[in-house]
Amino acid sequence: MRTGETLAALRARIKAGGLDETPAWPAVELEGEMGTQSTVLPGGLASGALHELQPATPADVGAATGFALGLASRLLARRPGPLLWGLPSTRGWREGQLYPVGLGAFGIDPDRVIQVEVRKTADLLWSLEEALDHPSLAVVVGLLPEGDRLYDFTASRRLAMRAARHGATVLLLGAAPVFDMATAASTRWSLAALASRPVPHVGQAVPGLGPPRWQARLVKSRKGLLDAWDLEWNHETLSFRLAAPLADRAPLRRAGRLSRRPTAA
Amino acid sequence: MLSVLEQNGARVSAVNAPAAALGLVPGMPLADARAIHPALGVAPADPDGDAQGLRRLALWCQRYSPLTRIDAPDGVSIDIAGCAHLFGGEEALMADLADRLHGFGLTARLALAPTLGAAWALARYGGTQMVQVAPGETGEVLAPLPVAALRIEADTVRALERLGLDRIGLLAGKPRAPLAGRFGPLLVQRLDQALGREGERFDPVEAAPVYRIARNFAEPVVTLEAIGEVAARLTGELAEMLQGLGKAARRLELALYRVDGWREALELRITRPSNDAPHLLRLLGERLDRLRDHAGFGFEAAVLSAFEVERAEAVQAVLSGREHSPPPPGDLDRLLDRLVNRFGPERVSRFAPRESHVPERSCHPVSALAQAARQDWAAHGRALHGGTALARPPLLFARPEPVEVLVEMPDKPPARFEWRRTAHRIVRAEGPERIAPEWWAGGEANRLTRDYYRVEDTEGRRFWLYREGLYDRPGDTVSWFVHGLFA
Repeated sequence: MRTGETLAALRARIKAGGLDETPAWPAVELEGEMGTQSTVLPGGLASGALHELQPATPADVGAATGFALGLASRLLARRPGPLLWGLPSTRGWREGQLYPVGLGAFGIDPDRVIQVEVRKTADLLWSLEEALDHPSLAVVVGLLPEGDRLYDFTASRRLAMRAARHGATVLLLGAAPVFDMATAASTRWSLAALASRPVPHVGQAVPGLGPPRWQARLVKSRKGLLDAWDLEWNHETLSFRLAAPLADRAPLRRAGRLSRRPTAA
Repeated sequence: MLSVLEQNGARVSAVNAPAAALGLVPGMPLADARAIHPALGVAPADPDGDAQGLRRLALWCQRYSPLTRIDAPDGVSIDIAGCAHLFGGEEALMADLADRLHGFGLTARLALAPTLGAAWALARYGGTQMVQVAPGETGEVLAPLPVAALRIEADTVRALERLGLDRIGLLAGKPRAPLAGRFGPLLVQRLDQALGREGERFDPVEAAPVYRIARNFAEPVVTLEAIGEVAARLTGELAEMLQGLGKAARRLELALYRVDGWREALELRITRPSNDAPHLLRLLGERLDRLRDHAGFGFEAAVLSAFEVERAEAVQAVLSGREHSPPPPGDLDRLLDRLVNRFGPERVSRFAPRESHVPERSCHPVSALAQAARQDWAAHGRALHGGTALARPPLLFARPEPVEVLVEMPDKPPARFEWRRTAHRIVRAEGPERIAPEWWAGGEANRLTRDYYRVEDTEGRRFWLYREGLYDRPGDTVSWFVHGLFA
């Protein structure tokens, strides 16, 4: 009976001409300030779909993970249910484990996180698929192990179809060489860390850290639009916004010094 | 013959029948035994292996009754109260047991008696391979047995024998108070227990299940498919039984008995008590694969037991056929069950805060099987870092990684550091945030003070660095680590 139901649903969707098109469920917008919403990824990021995130360089793993957490936070705000965080058991040693106390910066309630540690990629994909089969999950995040070869078009297709069935979004985080083939993902992002806005502190020679920034490059999109944006995470509104590029103050400073020197002499 | 190595040389620990006929007894030095018979075959004793084997045997005996216990070092007790009729009566059960044990190549002595003590005595001192005692005859049958059959200390046995009280029958009629006064309370207690005047606690090797369904097969079952069918039938019956009673189980165990006496058990832990046959079977089915290479000559019996049974919560079935209806209740628990079933309870976790300021100890994963209580993360965060969530990274390394650091001045953030063979020049920094060690916990790791810094390099990558040890405190060795990554 269950199979029949699914088949019927699929047939109906094919008839509607939308099997390949992610259905119009509420999308995740990269909300911006001052009307930038329209300029960043028009139509937003589809939920109930598969998105791939990759660090631009191996050193950007932290940045890519942070971006994934930002997206997950936006999704969790819109859909009830927990976040499943699937990772290979070796990952904590190399790339770090999720630290619940630090999730507050992304507005993620640690109680909503379920962590699954697996030994093999096959198990990881199995648990992601299994999770997507259960409608009570809001977001499913999978961290592919380094040098994985098991994730391919078929695997991505399975994930994407399952994500569409119940509307949970799946984010797949992999090292750069993982995603060099065609997959069924809606989007693929390449993420690099960007220098944050300095927060000057009185009496401190070195300025403090501003909110995290990324250069988010959309390297693949089903809608065909490719672009890159400098995004910044807003801890207060729990959303992304376009980051104004930092100006280079070096010439100014040099000029200032030059002008001061004669008076000191 | 078996020997065991003791402090003062090798001693005989067990002898077989021919060796006993030569006059060898356990406890004598091996050298003496060799002197009596030079061509003696000696094998080293393996007490651990024996204990394991005995435990396996006790578990295997659960096919007769859920209540079995180990009587170290050489016996197994089975409480067959209410079970004998399933095997065609007491005699038939005894015969079946004797037959199977013989088939395993074990020389066993069996005794069936109304009390544990009597059965213990008769099995060891009864003289025959198989003894059976009717309820009224316990005293009579025990009377001619030596007092050692009472499970008492060797010293008491010797003392009794010196007094000429070497038969149980001689003790039974004696006044109890002087006996207890002279030999301690244990003797009287054991005597009462053997004669059924006093109850005895039975500590089974495994807790008895609440509900249990057993099946014996006419033909040994070998293939996984057949085992799967058996599991399906047992699960169906158990689920039906539980549903009829309005109960649900939190833990299930499927035990399969192999022809050669091996017992395979699959244990199932469930997040929310369940009596739903398809769900239970699905979970069980995923485990069955582990039996693939264990079937051997086939399984001859299967027992499905339900432990930790609770009242079932009524669940409203979902009536709407809509595709994106809200998730049915219990949906998440089913997912957790499946994940736990496949990866083990410790690999599927939630987080729980812990009372500690040391970052890696301030929270810990708990199995998702544990009942999910709402944790007060906000309060925990306030206690840890004054509620400034930005002060902690979302990613923490399983073990802090040592880094090479260039510091211009003590108690200033570092200017650059090298980590994983890459140099990072620090252009933004915040800190230090001092985290004092938990000196009361003891250990070298809890001795040094840490100063944490949030730093960002020229590329915008952010790290959580800390310095362990203080520059101006004598005895402190100062070292730097990267502990986590910020987004």
